[in-house]
Amino acid sequence: MDSKVSRLFSWSKVFLEDMDEKVGIFADSYLRKKASRLHEESGVSFESKEKSLKIFYHLLGGDKAKELHITDKRFIETSRTLLEKFSGKGKSFFLTWQDEKALYFPATLAYFNDKELNDMHYYWLCGMLSKVNLQGNDIITENIKATAFLTNKYAGFKNFYNKAKYLLVQNYPELSYIDSLNTEALLDDKSYPNPLWIYPSIATNAKLLNFNDEEEMGRQDGKEDKTEELKMKKKSNQIDDEKETDGLLLFLPESLMSFMEQVNVDRQENDSFDEDALYNARDLDEITLGKKDANLSSRVKMDLDISSRDVEDYPLGNGFLRDEWDYKKDMYLKKYVRIYPQVAINVEPIALPKRLNKMMKRIQSELDLMELDRLKIDNLPYGDEINFDAWIEYRGHQNKSNHPQRFFQSFEKKTRDMSTLLLADISLSTEAGVTQDIRVIDMIKDSLMVFSESLNRLEDSFGIYAFSSIKNKKVNFHIVKNFKEKYGDLVRGRIDVLKPGYYTRLGSAVRESGKILQKEQSQNRLLLILSDGKPNDTDRYDGRYGIEDTKKAIDEVRQMGITPFCITIDVEAREYLPYLFGRNSYTVIRDAKKLPKVLTEIYMNLTK
Amino acid sequence: MSHSYYLPQANEVELFEAAAGMNLPVLIKGPTGCGKTRFIETMGERLGREVYTVVCHDDLSAADLVGRHLIDENGTYWQDGPLTKAVRNGGICYLDEIIEARKDTTVVLHSLADYRRVLPIDRTGELIEAHPDFMLVVSYNPGYQNVLKGMKPSTKQRFISLSFTYPKPDIEKEVIIKESGVDEPTAQKLVNIAGEIRQLSDSDIQEAVSTRLLIYAAKLMVKGFDPYEACMHSIVESLSDEEDVLEVLQKLISLHFTKAE
Repeated sequence: MDSKVSRLFSWSKVFLEDMDEKVGIFADSYLRKKASRLHEESGVSFESKEKSLKIFYHLLGGDKAKELHITDKRFIETSRTLLEKFSGKGKSFFLTWQDEKALYFPATLAYFNDKELNDMHYYWLCGMLSKVNLQGNDIITENIKATAFLTNKYAGFKNFYNKAKYLLVQNYPELSYIDSLNTEALLDDKSYPNPLWIYPSIATNAKLLNFNDEEEMGRQDGKEDKTEELKMKKKSNQIDDEKETDGLLLFLPESLMSFMEQVNVDRQENDSFDEDALYNARDLDEITLGKKDANLSSRVKMDLDISSRDVEDYPLGNGFLRDEWDYKKDMYLKKYVRIYPQVAINVEPIALPKRLNKMMKRIQSELDLMELDRLKIDNLPYGDEINFDAWIEYRGHQNKSNHPQRFFQSFEKKTRDMSTLLLADISLSTEAGVTQDIRVIDMIKDSLMVFSESLNRLEDSFGIYAFSSIKNKKVNFHIVKNFKEKYGDLVRGRIDVLKPGYYTRLGSAVRESGKILQKEQSQNRLLLILSDGKPNDTDRYDGRYGIEDTKKAIDEVRQMGITPFCITIDVEAREYLPYLFGRNSYTVIRDAKKLPKVLTEIYMNLTK
Repeated sequence: MSHSYYLPQANEVELFEAAAGMNLPVLIKGPTGCGKTRFIETMGERLGREVYTVVCHDDLSAADLVGRHLIDENGTYWQDGPLTKAVRNGGICYLDEIIEARKDTTVVLHSLADYRRVLPIDRTGELIEAHPDFMLVVSYNPGYQNVLKGMKPSTKQRFISLSFTYPKPDIEKEVIIKESGVDEPTAQKLVNIAGEIRQLSDSDIQEAVSTRLLIYAAKLMVKGFDPYEACMHSIVESLSDEEDVLEVLQKLISLHFTKAE
């Protein structure tokens, strides 16, 4: 009997401890709600704020190249109320932090019973992020400094801070240290994280990136680092993913059946590479980090040995030999590059993909606005209205027989007298991923479709070409649509079969495009270049030689009276594009996903 | 004598005076509302020359600049355009936003903008030699990226160029105080707001807040409007129509000038 009781007792103890540690997604949601001190009904989600926060961060002078992401839970050891212990809630937290690449915010904020305050909380964190520098600095003094700065400069932040502090301390007595400068008291076992503060990045805090088998990352012995005293730790159980499981592991510890979920979170690449995974992971106490990451380079390497093609590219003749500029010799290398114009045959004509319909609809409304532009045409021999200026001028003219006598004017739909050649880079680098399922080339294809659909509706004349290169021996110049061909299903089919391959000998492609555009009779000729990186090839083209040749080619095109304009998704493009195109003739698009919409908008802006 | 208030940012006054003395035309680049027009007005007053301002648009014809025949009870007569008036009588002809005018319109300026300084009027067969006090000034905003607009290099290369930007914070503050009569702390806040908005890039906002808008806001405040409201109506709503951007700007204003509760 006695042993039975004691067994029961130890059982429940084990049970409790297990609850404590691994209850995760099994926890009873009712219990959780009750235990939660958050006001979820008035919570604000990051998703709804993302764009605003980004702009706000720029407003405060933040680095424009940084992205905004959702952070996952980070574990901090704290004392918890009994109820919280039971429900497993409250022991890991969504901290706000940043690294060189991005800012990381909690997915929702709901500390306050007032939507406006929760909303402001995001802005506050954004403001803090723009001021706090935790690189080698003490987290507490830095946060206090940034707080003082924000509350002094902005009356609005001051109001928020005072209100927030009051409410937080009321709701979370553990947080009573917020204002105390006594760091010792503050780092006591009451180290409940302050939701108004910025915390160090995972990388600096606990070298998670090394994937050492560390159980408790936060406590590396000896170091008097304040960040470590916060007892942050993240459980990172490294598992072996050679054995591909379906992500669900069932196992039986002595007493309790429990399961953990395995999520492949790609920590090396980018923290929110797969937001869904993070969302799912949100409620897991333990995120198991797999070694495997969605490594694009491996895929890219495989493709280097060019795969077989079902669609045949039909070469048009043996190609042409073209010149290239050698900056060292300061002269053209005559007939140095062979260009192979080619067109894809056996192509299935396709309709506009359904996924683009919504975007087209939105663009259509902008196109309608452009079409409203009507142009007054003066001095017509007949027309809608009398042009009084012409009439009066005639009356005052000395020699009436010599007068052209064109007294009318008409309003006609603007014919824009515009020819645009869109040159797309389809080198192998476009195989890289935008997200896990979408590659750059997919966005380029979508862009080409939306673009041609729009220009077709605007009745502007256009051509589409794509290129890739293998040294000077072979520059593939794919004809997707020339200026004479009508836009239709076949053109879309050709866009659809474009495949990434080889390298980017941009100069040659620009020269060839210039030759084609030159034959167009329009007054305005635009060469739009869609690219994802620097000019490069496997020979010396990769480097200054390539840049100089491209610059020369662009200058040549300008000489012909053609306006070049480059749209790139290469964030580093600001280093070389101003040199190639001049300050006002390029745009860098940070988010490749926006390319289809932005490309058309840029075109409309350029030609408005 | 001088009525307009203008606080120089650098050596633009000296440069302009030198150009005027040497009969050289001047081109002024700069974003909207940074003081281009005010500068010309002030210089006109300083030099004692009348300013003929023409705001260019894409329907502006050469006749709008040079002049045209009109009718009265006696038949037709010739009416000089603003350019011809300035050429005949002396004065500054200021073509604002010249980039908006069609390229063929601006070609009439060529013979005026170089050593010849003559204006041929083909409708009357006249060839007018410019008055010694005639000066040609054009301005444009280089911020827009547009293929169809832009100055021909042959036009551009006839001018002495001055590049304007928004004034430095302390100068801008002084300008706001002087123009609106607002107190110093408020002017400082407005300048802070402007500094922050000007951090935004083209992708977020088309063009940053101008000194002119800041002065409007300050004027509304002096009239007794709540500072938050004043900023909303003069700054925020004028800068964007996009909801995300509006929301952030609104937030920014509320951080500086707390909403009246």
